[in-house]
Amino acid sequence: MGILIHKETKIITQGISGKAGSFHTEQGMLYGSKYVGGVTPGKGGMKVLGLPVFDTVAEAKMSVDPDASLIFVPAPFAAEAILEAEEAGIALIVCITEGIPIKDMIEVSQVMRTSKTSRLIGPNCPGVITAEECKIGIMPGYIHKKGKIGVVSRSGTLTYEAVWQTTQLGLGQSTCVGIGGDPLNGTHFVDVLKMFEKDPQTEGILLIGEIGGQAEEMAAEWITYHGSKPVAAFIAGSTAPAGRRMGHAGAIVSGGKGTAQGKIEALKKAGATIAATPAEMGIAMKSALGAKR
Amino acid sequence: MNTHEYQAKDVLKKYHIPIPKYHVVSSLEEAKQALEHLKTAVVKIQVHAGGRGKAGGVKLGKTKEESLGFVKSMLGMHLVNNQTGPEGVIAHKVLLSDAVDIAKEYYLGAIIDREKARGVLIASPEGGMDIEEVAAKYPEKILTLPITLSGKLRNYHLLRLANFMGWKGDTAKEGMAIAQGVAKAFMDCDASLLEINPLVATPQGKLFAVDAKLSIDDNALFRHPEIAKMYDATQVSRNEAEASKHHLSYVSLAGNIGCMVNGAGLAMATMDIIHHYGGKPANFLDVGGSASKEVVAEGCKIILSDPNVKAILVNIFGGIMDCAIIAEGVIAAVSVLSIKVPLVVRLEGTNVENGKRLLKESGLAIISADGMDDAAKKAVEVLKK
Repeated sequence: MGILIHKETKIITQGISGKAGSFHTEQGMLYGSKYVGGVTPGKGGMKVLGLPVFDTVAEAKMSVDPDASLIFVPAPFAAEAILEAEEAGIALIVCITEGIPIKDMIEVSQVMRTSKTSRLIGPNCPGVITAEECKIGIMPGYIHKKGKIGVVSRSGTLTYEAVWQTTQLGLGQSTCVGIGGDPLNGTHFVDVLKMFEKDPQTEGILLIGEIGGQAEEMAAEWITYHGSKPVAAFIAGSTAPAGRRMGHAGAIVSGGKGTAQGKIEALKKAGATIAATPAEMGIAMKSALGAKR
Repeated sequence: MNTHEYQAKDVLKKYHIPIPKYHVVSSLEEAKQALEHLKTAVVKIQVHAGGRGKAGGVKLGKTKEESLGFVKSMLGMHLVNNQTGPEGVIAHKVLLSDAVDIAKEYYLGAIIDREKARGVLIASPEGGMDIEEVAAKYPEKILTLPITLSGKLRNYHLLRLANFMGWKGDTAKEGMAIAQGVAKAFMDCDASLLEINPLVATPQGKLFAVDAKLSIDDNALFRHPEIAKMYDATQVSRNEAEASKHHLSYVSLAGNIGCMVNGAGLAMATMDIIHHYGGKPANFLDVGGSASKEVVAEGCKIILSDPNVKAILVNIFGGIMDCAIIAEGVIAAVSVLSIKVPLVVRLEGTNVENGKRLLKESGLAIISADGMDDAAKKAVEVLKK
């Protein structure tokens, strides 16, 4: 099981002829995922990695009927690529691109929030992986092991760290979702928590947040009222100075809002086990599984 | 990207927002000329930080001589506070502006509302103070109105605004036009923050934008070449400016352990774990999810140019990246730069065994660590020796 994607998920890559697009498509195929084509405007009719390339997503949709699209389109054009995928009715749109202007994302967000066909993951994220089944993103496949932990995170490499720890402890993962580090993104913690709640393979949830915004607080509220599965959490940035942006566009404490302390307290109150350091994310998850909620 | 007050005012002017006459000067000569055109002058340092008044960077000169005296003391003024980072910023420019009689101060600003995914106008009849303070103390005195994607406020929103602010007659007309201008400028410029604080009403009911702040979404600068030109490298720490040239994300901090990490989340988490073991990070540095050998070497160089750095911690989760390449980058940096401070390296991920072997065989004094925990402990310990 797992959520969002599985071994039968058919995928196209938007921006497949670019360096990153072709590399990560190939990595995904080697992992065993079902890539069925790609899109690069002006390169329709070509083949990349033996896959058919189309000029537009609509043409790809008609020809190879994908369930998901992986986007590597450069930032100035990425918002349009997302809107194109939504218009073609692609169910899952995973946008890896970093640095999309926030004004572009306002338009995308308004469309995605009312979309009847599609869900967006990202942008500025590592993607989604269902361990040992399907990889749509840039995460290293080998650190994942089929298991019982659902991972949801705003970060990239910190997620790898968490995954690696749960793999080493023998817990393994169901699905790992990187929701991205931008202030406006398509899928939030709560959306993913709801899916993990319904997934029989997922026995525990590891949530990795960071400073800025209110997404973790909203997750804590959801967990309080609707969550039945054990949750462990780590929030990055407790020692970051206020008012200064820490890499991710979304990672900034401003006006006393979005502090790590506030997020940690909210999650604690919701019954989550908090990892005191990033080296203890796996251990915190293990102990949360042991303690009944 | 942050801009100076005078640059924000230059932008607001284009949207017909009334601003008291101002001149920006960078020398006494220029100030003398500017003062020919002004009566009593407000003198303000131009730096990318708040808290200017508290630091003595805002003064009212009642005579030309007094104003010139203030300009003299403010040019080159060094401001250090919690908004500037440990290096502080220097005022290379000073703004001279007509003083206006103040009957009341308001706040008008625009930001992005993350939860609602749109731009919003924020207004308050309590101007002149920090808007966050107002929000905390008197939440009922803040009005939030949605801005459309094209930068418009609806007519009924404008009426609500006028009533909320207590504007009547011509003042209401003027206030609504100003709000509309703020909304339009905010969306047109791809701003992340646009603020008029205070917006002043004179005893005659005229409105003026007395102070202004404008920050632009860095990711959108490519479509605003005229705004990109406003970038002032003197207001960014030397290291931060250097890092941004190499597309590295760097923030200088007050500690002594230099950090090089791939990924923003992992970089923040590395700072956190250093603190956890009683150490203090000297910086936040994200070399990116797929750092190259050259970028790693460049990162080392930037970290080492901070004289406070007494140890370096490299924390890389290879991911797609080959650890051997990271190791080569570190080795290259160490041999070229003759690093004299202890270097703790933690590698994980693809081809990690080869990476570790390369570090070992290099014969360089590199302290290798297993896992984040071990790395942070070793970096803190090595400073105690």
